[in-house]
Amino acid sequence: MNYIVLVKQVPDITRIPEEAWDREKGTLKRGVLDTVFNPLDLQALTFACRMKSHDKSSRVLCLTMGPNQARELLEDCMARGADEGVLLTDMKFAGADTPATAYALACAIRKIAKDIFKGQDYVIVTGMQSVDGDTAQVPPQVAEELGMEQIAYAQSFDFVKGALQVKRIGPLGVETIVPKHYPVLITVIQCMDPVYRSFNRVRSIEATSIHVWNAEAVAADKDLIGSKGSRTWVTQIASVSSQRAKPCAYALSLDELLDRIEHDFKHGSAREDKAVTPYVLGDKTPSLNGEVWVYAEQEKGALASVSLELLGKARELATALKQKVAAVIVGDNVKYLTPALFAAGADKVYMAEHSLLKDFLPCPFKKVIAAMVLEYRPQIMLFGASPLGRELAPRIAYAISAGLTADCTGLEIADYEKGSVRQIAILKQTRPALGGNIMATIITKDSPFQLATVRPGVFKAPVPDASRKGEVVRVAAHLDDKDCATKIVWSEPAFTKVHLDQAEVIVSGGRGMGSKANFEKYLTPLADALSVWLKVKVEIAGSRMAVEDGFIGHARQVGQTGQTVSPKLYVAVAISGAVQHITGMQGSGTIFSINKDPHARIYSYSDHGLAADLEEVIPQLIKAIHKRQGAA
Amino acid sequence: MKPIDVLIIGAGPAGLATAIRLKQKFNKAKSTASVVVIEKAAKPGYHNLSGAVIETACLDELLPGWRAADPAFAAELMPVKRDEMYFLTAKAAFQIPELLVPGGMHHKNDSLISVSRLVDWLAKAARKEGVEIQSGFSAASLIWDKDAVKGVRLVDCGLDARRQPKPNFLKGEDVLAKVTVLADGPRGVLSREYVARVKGNINPQVYSIGIKQVFKVPVGHDFGTNRVLHTLGFPNRPDVFGGSFFYSMGTEYIAAGLILGLDWKYTDLNPQQEFELLKTHPLIARFLKDAVPVAAGARTIPEGGFYSIPKLWTEGALLVGDAAGLVNMEKIKGIHYAIFSGMAAADAIVDGSISATALGAYKDNLEARGVLKDMRHARNFRQVFQWGVFMGAPLSQIQSLIPVRLGLHQDHSQTLKGAALKRDIKPAIDRATFAALSGTTHREDEPSHLIINDTSVCQRCRQELSSPCAVFCPTEVYRWKEDGVNISASNCVHCGTCAIKCPFQNITWTPPEGGQGPRYKNM
Repeated sequence: MNYIVLVKQVPDITRIPEEAWDREKGTLKRGVLDTVFNPLDLQALTFACRMKSHDKSSRVLCLTMGPNQARELLEDCMARGADEGVLLTDMKFAGADTPATAYALACAIRKIAKDIFKGQDYVIVTGMQSVDGDTAQVPPQVAEELGMEQIAYAQSFDFVKGALQVKRIGPLGVETIVPKHYPVLITVIQCMDPVYRSFNRVRSIEATSIHVWNAEAVAADKDLIGSKGSRTWVTQIASVSSQRAKPCAYALSLDELLDRIEHDFKHGSAREDKAVTPYVLGDKTPSLNGEVWVYAEQEKGALASVSLELLGKARELATALKQKVAAVIVGDNVKYLTPALFAAGADKVYMAEHSLLKDFLPCPFKKVIAAMVLEYRPQIMLFGASPLGRELAPRIAYAISAGLTADCTGLEIADYEKGSVRQIAILKQTRPALGGNIMATIITKDSPFQLATVRPGVFKAPVPDASRKGEVVRVAAHLDDKDCATKIVWSEPAFTKVHLDQAEVIVSGGRGMGSKANFEKYLTPLADALSVWLKVKVEIAGSRMAVEDGFIGHARQVGQTGQTVSPKLYVAVAISGAVQHITGMQGSGTIFSINKDPHARIYSYSDHGLAADLEEVIPQLIKAIHKRQGAA
Repeated sequence: MKPIDVLIIGAGPAGLATAIRLKQKFNKAKSTASVVVIEKAAKPGYHNLSGAVIETACLDELLPGWRAADPAFAAELMPVKRDEMYFLTAKAAFQIPELLVPGGMHHKNDSLISVSRLVDWLAKAARKEGVEIQSGFSAASLIWDKDAVKGVRLVDCGLDARRQPKPNFLKGEDVLAKVTVLADGPRGVLSREYVARVKGNINPQVYSIGIKQVFKVPVGHDFGTNRVLHTLGFPNRPDVFGGSFFYSMGTEYIAAGLILGLDWKYTDLNPQQEFELLKTHPLIARFLKDAVPVAAGARTIPEGGFYSIPKLWTEGALLVGDAAGLVNMEKIKGIHYAIFSGMAAADAIVDGSISATALGAYKDNLEARGVLKDMRHARNFRQVFQWGVFMGAPLSQIQSLIPVRLGLHQDHSQTLKGAALKRDIKPAIDRATFAALSGTTHREDEPSHLIINDTSVCQRCRQELSSPCAVFCPTEVYRWKEDGVNISASNCVHCGTCAIKCPFQNITWTPPEGGQGPRYKNM
């Protein structure tokens, strides 16, 4: 078995120096940023090196696309254990979006399989995403171009009697997946303890073990690479100010404070509300035609909340376009879910049922949905940027040659005019990029379909209207066993990892907590009270200082070196607000801080503040919350 | 592995000058001898911090035609046009007339540049000559064969906090070379091991700590450009040796810092907070109006001077730059000495020569370049300040006439029981924020690279001297917790102050895994 690891050099977004900003234009000068090994690719390389160690005759080859400078990345890989490297470099590749990148990489992989591996079996290993683009689209699209199955969110592997088994986090929990045939693509979500560079290996690299190929060498079709092969256009870049726009408010009483927090929690902090003027099509002729579709994702037999949120948004877009809203649902026996889709705003439901669609596998799902899109031709299709949506949407987009914008935080209908280009009533997609440091506005080009994924919680789900009815369109699913290249052999539903990033409310403590006992004495009951009051699960976290002092485990560290979180409510207790911490939590909806120092830096980032001693005020706060609970 | 002819530890000005000069020489002689530089920072320049005002003649000699070859970089070096020195009292500032400023402290026509930028540029120049620079590798110790240096051993990587190997454990590799050049900076781990064995210095080495911040200021700001401003006095008591600097960096930045001799007696002196106090002085506050701190860092400076220089070569090894103590306090400069010493060392290394006799030519080369002459002139400069600034300042003007060698006390021995400044400062920047501005990172589950030799000594220190380490560390790595000293090693900026100033010499500074520590770009 041989391994191809896809690697990428990315700008270092963990620390952006002041001189990298063009504050007037609101853009980042990427040339000023350092380049680093994309951290998730390093985990992929580690994963591959550990698989290789089970069979000494196997080889690990790293593939990257980029300027000549990217050669140093391949040398880095070889110092860590890779045997060979391929640098794909050509000006013709410049300006590529994800499908154009995936196509070029796939061309190189075909050549590697033929010329270097000479027909031997191989596995492609990649990181989940790059930290700069953060789209997670390239790996599934490479798999799509090469017609292979993808095993996403891989955590570990095992060789059972010589056969590979991959453990991954899937919709069913921790799933054990066995590839039925090779090649297959594995995306790694986590592989701890990355391999180190060995000095002896660095100094043993032979120049001949790095191959440099251009577009012609890999026989890439020039119409499918670079900006010519791209289906999306970045039309605007804006910076996200690190300072939050609204000053911190200090309430006069605990009740007033709780009122405001409750209001923000239910309606979002006021600072996010922007007056949006609805788009008016008038008598203009839209550039595209067709319905607005939403992929209806299922979660343990119910509809995923993000799908309902998207139906609400789709309703708004469709009204502006004077079009119908449709939901797409595929599975085995899913008809019972259709009333909820109508209630949430769908006019129509396209439904495909098949026994092979019982559990989610990207290939068969993609095959059925791509066929539907090509037959019924919607102009817009939205997916939740859930783990499943991130596997599925890129493949569908690639299969139908459509553009796809990942992780949108804003969608609106607008006209676009620049030079000779004039597009009427198209979908303007806004998403954060470069680790949330900038916002990019993106439009789809050269494609009749506009696809986007949206992070859960960005839009509000409409109030269900059970009286709404609609039309169910049954679509035949043409599938057989050959469409399933992998098999789920085992799954266990238990989750043990702390997913702070998915928490709606986080209560976080800093060094000022003083001790581990105080964490338990004050933060645990505060979290419990909030949980009962707001009816959500509340996670407890800590700053780096708190972790270092042993108040709380590293798995719950928020900040630059911990997890990045964006809950609806973030309660910071006794946290001073060092940049390192702010970086990890400034995306939170509402930030409420308790710190006895009224000048603490954390207040510059907070919506609500309580400048008081925590030992005094937290018990009072808990009491006040309990009182509300009793009254309600 | 391909054999290494010359191995250089540390990609700073001295190490890179050595590498460039050597490779130029080898290239000219059509020799394929290899020159390899290893550096513990992730990238060259990340661990370099200075003012800096430099004399550029060394660059003209090292890389003739460099200005024409890289006009963009040449334009970054701003010539000094305004050069002032002030004496500060708590509320007032008195400009010291130019005539009274010692000759060595005039900076007109020198150039302003960030040393991390300079190093980044030197590294590119070195690579162009064919020097191999391997960043992100930390060396733990020297490999000796009797009294000859044979190379270095790298640090073990992939240990957990309890020093148990993790799945990615990589044992420290041995890197052998014909000649090893130690350019690991002030109190470098390897040069320290070398000095302990080879010796040769008459006075002990003494150090100061430099606290630095870079501020962004609006274009057209009051401070102006091409300007150098030094201060003496406030916030320092007369018995604390030190002063501050404020340099314009281009049109939008000011580099500022406070340098304090580590021989202070106060148990509660916090250099980072002293700098914050300085920022509140009316003169300084005026300059720093609208200034936003964008970067921060700290580093120690070897100040002992001529009599603190150890024997500079032994069989198979040479010492260059700050590792050798080649800083001239009379000029408050060291970068051009570092570069000249690197060139002098390179000239002494003949392809394949390892004997001490051959390397001995290094000393003659240093003499020929005038490095030792300057150092000799300033031989008693630092010493006279041991008697305080009011005695030291006038004496320093005539120190070269003092016919005898003045001694020095080791910094750590000067901390005095009961001596306290008792500052009450509301700092604009606390130590945690200071650490964040340095960009420092370390793997969180790495064993602490700062080792307390004997925890019971800390108890004694707590009682007698109130744990100065918990106060003097600029990034608050050390904190006193109920029953001992708690170490947050991941905040460390590798300045080295703790190991020098711990009154009981109870801290051992070991190199952490490579590629970590601060990330200075404009320091």
